[in-house]
Amino acid sequence: MVSKRLLVVLVIIFSIVGLLTIYYFNNPSEHSFFIPCPFKFATGYHCPGCGSQRAIHQLLHLDIAAAFRLNPLMVLSLPLIFWGLGIMIWNYIYQTEYRVWLFYNKYFIYGYFGLAVVYWVVRNLPYYPFNLLAPNS
Amino acid sequence: MPPPDNNLVWAILATVLCCIPLGIVAIIKASKVEQLWYQGRHEEAQKAADDAKKWSIYSALSVGLIFVVYILIMLFVVLINGVDGF
Repeated sequence: MVSKRLLVVLVIIFSIVGLLTIYYFNNPSEHSFFIPCPFKFATGYHCPGCGSQRAIHQLLHLDIAAAFRLNPLMVLSLPLIFWGLGIMIWNYIYQTEYRVWLFYNKYFIYGYFGLAVVYWVVRNLPYYPFNLLAPNS
Repeated sequence: MPPPDNNLVWAILATVLCCIPLGIVAIIKASKVEQLWYQGRHEEAQKAADDAKKWSIYSALSVGLIFVVYILIMLFVVLINGVDGF
């Protein structure tokens, strides 16, 4: 039943395109109806994901530099995310068993998430050059 | 046969989009899948992969829960102060 699985994927893709349309036409730094980061909402500190919504808005307008200033880690992770999700969708539609081998490498896993934790801390430091990592519009 | 899917892409997404520390558990479980699989401990590898998936789902659900609470707080604020509260 490739067609049924294809339909599921199409529905998901249409929902994502719908969401991206909202992000295209509305800049989250100008509207308050976007949901803020729960961590920042609770503590006032930036988390590794802060700036991602604003960065998605800039990416959809093809302003990669502005997106990079908002959340460099998110922009640099995009190829990994597209790669991982792409293989996952392919496996689902065609019932294959492909794997992203990088995702099974211990050094990669701990390296990436170690980087995320360090990033979490240093982007909250109010000193140059660390303050460049905070969401800057 | 390849090792079971360790669902690491969800842990990455959780890190760059919603920042809930529950993802850490998923990462630790995901990192064990490969070694267990090639030691021939297939059941344990499958269990680690399933656990990684489970904790990714918990992470996403907790964000959903926080959003619901956030919307309730906003509704409460609007009810008390009117829309001028924004």
